[in-house]
Amino acid sequence: MNLKTKICLAAVILIFLAALAGTVYVLRPIDSTYVEIVQDGTVLYTIDLADAENQSFTIESEDGGYNVVTIEDGQIYMSDADCPDGVCISSGVLRSGLSIVCLPHKLVIRFVEDTE
Amino acid sequence: MNITPKRLAELSVLTALALIIFVVELRIPDLLPIPGVKLGLANIITVYAVYRYRGIEVFMVVLVRILFGSMFSGGVSTMLYSLAGGMLCLSGMLLVRHIIPPRHLWLCSIIGAILHNTGQMIMAVLLMKTTAVLCYYPILLFSGCIAGLFTGLCAGLVVSRVGGDGQPR
Repeated sequence: MNLKTKICLAAVILIFLAALAGTVYVLRPIDSTYVEIVQDGTVLYTIDLADAENQSFTIESEDGGYNVVTIEDGQIYMSDADCPDGVCISSGVLRSGLSIVCLPHKLVIRFVEDTE
Repeated sequence: MNITPKRLAELSVLTALALIIFVVELRIPDLLPIPGVKLGLANIITVYAVYRYRGIEVFMVVLVRILFGSMFSGGVSTMLYSLAGGMLCLSGMLLVRHIIPPRHLWLCSIIGAILHNTGQMIMAVLLMKTTAVLCYYPILLFSGCIAGLFTGLCAGLVVSRVGGDGQPR
């Protein structure tokens, strides 16, 4: 293995370790109760899960599709959507820094820091 | 640029193979409910082609595979993600193939996987107009490194079995 290959290998190992650390960081449990629903780069709602009532609401997307967001016992999840992959539904309840993302409908649900 | 009929046929077979692998992989259920996490088995063909063919030729193979692949699987947005990932991945691998000998082409494959995920992430940030999607980047990189190592080792087997010196010709 020549020197340049070794440098590449070292870079790859560094990136791998950084990704591992990043994954652990992203998956840490979040104690904030504030969530933000972002569509196409604009914040639609900011909700405090601690005192939000149980409810479901539909968010229409530009291309005519929809996502149904459900809040239940202080937890939020995507309960229905007409996107082709359904990844946002199978993501389940929002627990960590890993946002619920619906790529086809440009919709994101994520925790935000308590701003007050 | 002149391509002999024999070479054109070889490239077409490679493209067809990559498409078959791609379509078969679509049938494998997702391991994780995370968009973008997949094995990327079609990358075996790309890595093999990177070490056996000229840059422009590999470019054509990958471009056709992405165009047809997204026609089979998804829509325009799938194609945009694949194009961003695939092209960045390919440019990176074409650069490092001069540095990394064929014996260690798994390393080239991992670098390709990292760049592929990076390209997809850039496209995701552009399309979604939010940096919120970046939280998936570490996970994609992590799984990408493992998948890249796997497909790279497969491509290494192919290069050693199919023969040739493994140098771009």
